[in-house]
Amino acid sequence: MKELITSLANRYGVRDWKDLKAGQAACFVDSGRLRDCLRWLRDEAGYAHLSFATAIDQLERGVFTLTYALRNHERGHSLLVHSEIDRTRPVVDSIHRLWAQAWTYQREMKEWYGIDFPGSPRVDEEFVLEGWQGPPMMRRDFDSLAYSDATYAERPGRASSDPAEHMKRELYPEEQA
Amino acid sequence: MNIKDFIAPFAVWKRAFEKPFTVRKPIDERPGAPRYRGFHINDAKACVGCGSCEAICMNQAIDLVPVAGLPAKEGDSGLRPRVDYGRCCWCALCVDICPSGSLGMSNEYVWVDADPEVFRYTPGVEAKPWDKSELGYRRAEGYRLLDGQRVAMPELDHQAAVQSFLELVRGYSRQQAEREADRCVACGLCVASCPAHMDIPGYIKAVRDGQLDEGLNLLYETNPFPEACGRICTHRCEAACSIGAGTGADGEPADPVAIRWLKRYIADQVELADYGRALPRAEPDSGRRVAVVGAGPGGLAAAYYLRLQGHAVTVLEKDEAGGGMLRYGIPEYRLPYPALDKDIAWIQSLGVDIRYGTAVGVDLSLADLAASHDAVYLSTGLPAPYRLDVPGDDHPRVLDGVAVLAAATRGQSLGLGKTVAVVGGGNVAMDAARTALRAGCAVDILYRRREADMPADPDEIREAKAEGARLVEKAIPLEVKAIPLEVKAIPGDPAGALVAWNEARMVQKEDGQRPVPEPIPGAVHEDRYDSIIAAIGQGPDLAFVAESDGIEIRRFKPVVASDGRTSRATIFAGGDLTNERKDAISAIADGHRAALAMDRLLRAKGN
Repeated sequence: MKELITSLANRYGVRDWKDLKAGQAACFVDSGRLRDCLRWLRDEAGYAHLSFATAIDQLERGVFTLTYALRNHERGHSLLVHSEIDRTRPVVDSIHRLWAQAWTYQREMKEWYGIDFPGSPRVDEEFVLEGWQGPPMMRRDFDSLAYSDATYAERPGRASSDPAEHMKRELYPEEQA
Repeated sequence: MNIKDFIAPFAVWKRAFEKPFTVRKPIDERPGAPRYRGFHINDAKACVGCGSCEAICMNQAIDLVPVAGLPAKEGDSGLRPRVDYGRCCWCALCVDICPSGSLGMSNEYVWVDADPEVFRYTPGVEAKPWDKSELGYRRAEGYRLLDGQRVAMPELDHQAAVQSFLELVRGYSRQQAEREADRCVACGLCVASCPAHMDIPGYIKAVRDGQLDEGLNLLYETNPFPEACGRICTHRCEAACSIGAGTGADGEPADPVAIRWLKRYIADQVELADYGRALPRAEPDSGRRVAVVGAGPGGLAAAYYLRLQGHAVTVLEKDEAGGGMLRYGIPEYRLPYPALDKDIAWIQSLGVDIRYGTAVGVDLSLADLAASHDAVYLSTGLPAPYRLDVPGDDHPRVLDGVAVLAAATRGQSLGLGKTVAVVGGGNVAMDAARTALRAGCAVDILYRRREADMPADPDEIREAKAEGARLVEKAIPLEVKAIPLEVKAIPGDPAGALVAWNEARMVQKEDGQRPVPEPIPGAVHEDRYDSIIAAIGQGPDLAFVAESDGIEIRRFKPVVASDGRTSRATIFAGGDLTNERKDAISAIADGHRAALAMDRLLRAKGN
């Protein structure tokens, strides 16, 4: 394992290696070297299987964290490869030529986070949100209330009570504030 | 078109009677995952209607609505969350925030109905098939968005505390106070439980925002004794606090917000010299004169609010200093005199005239007072101690608990001897016991019921025991006896007395009533003490009220309306003298209410 860590570091500047639990580790690579790094892991290091790929919106730091979960079936080891891209320029290399199924994950990330993977098949098509007009809804600054208010009509007949005011009306209405 | 095209559709018929290759999979058996976030469930009995779910819902999908058969009561608004599934996005933040832990989600997700109105419903109140669902989303063990543990209050340790009358509770620092204030969700359930209905969420927000002048102003809107109440209030608000309604991350019952300590923090942080910056001054003189009898918290609260309205207020106090039971009944390790003096000094600074050492009924009559003032407020409290009511209770070594506490306040020698029995289970009993401990005595507290039945504040009981008092439960005093002469004749032996008491067991006589102590035949003990302190309650002393004053008295109390008015239009009464709660904050609330009513009366007179 030490050998693998050293190779990754030397070849692709991979850092922050962390053993999460038995048979699972995580590491970080710059987005510019991401595709090359994944290719090497697939072809040279035995991590032939892509389990899934997803993104995390790190709003406070202004980045998206991309996570690719790889699996080396011979060694029974999983590796989470993290990378980060600028939230204001969310574009990253597509890996659909490394793993054919990756285009599905990339299409999902395009719809949910607005992250673009140029060249990825059908990346601009709807994934699960049919007819969605709004901004990518998994971005943490997506204001679901503003979106609902702008998109849907309010049903009449709703009313809410403030607990303290309600208790005053019920329990001590005669007293002045 | 040829014949083939015509026949082709019928070709599939040749398979009509073959076994199909597909597997039949009924669509009505697709349960949600075990922790699926499906339709809401709510334990309507555990829910306290605090509205934290409504506040956190990012889609405004939740309303708080009144529910038939669930009246508002202390610690429960009676409101329950109603979810609008046209807006809910199933994020489950409402479940995660819920202080009482009553809200959850079933794993049911199919609900078909032609009527769109039904998708707005009150879980736990309107019965649904998934109400009993064991599966579905619940807040994960140990996961809490709210902090269930209050910021620990720095206190003297008990070994050191019992050596002196130094204040036990040291008060929060700014950092501690702001962190504690941060635990409040501003639901306002506490406001109804406070007899004075203080704006608790308002002043806690002021602490959080560092706006202490604003906080002080909010305190004084309903309570001119924030230093005193910030220390010794019975804090019923904390029993109602929604944060204390559930369990913390450790599974232990969550602590309510330390409302009382936060009140103290505000008053402690603003110097008396700066009070004028935050608080209102008195209105211009109205030309009306009001007399207040008794300078306890109730009397001075009435005086404060009357003075604010511009009336001239004279307070008559039989003792040599103000504060009443706050000064003479509460030891300084709980309420140091400078803190009480600060509250009183601000009231005086508005021009309230307090005449100390003036006893109504002795130095002047109530009739004189009523004749020379436009209105009178009676707030004389409960100065007359109840006797033990056993043979020998007039023995000279049987002392009155309040008198012992008053002597300690005045710095007089207590002369308790070395061993003391305190009879009673209220706060006066605990304070007398702890005062005796500080005088170096060994103290036994004799109480006729169980510890759980004691009316004293649980903190006081805990601290009295921690400081070394021995609590003897289920002990019924039978008699106080003089020590026989032959025993007493030992040279240097202090005077003392024998207390005979009977062990009791608790008997449930009537369902729904609290159990009654019943003496166990033959289980009689006789113990010798240098002093016996009786602290079983006090009654009023209305000797100063003459029949000709025209005040109706029933069961030793003036009969008063909800605004404090007695049967005589210009005389009002309140505080321990008339109310059942018998605590400082209730007296202050009475004083405030009566002041508003008297103000209306005086203004009506003026026109």
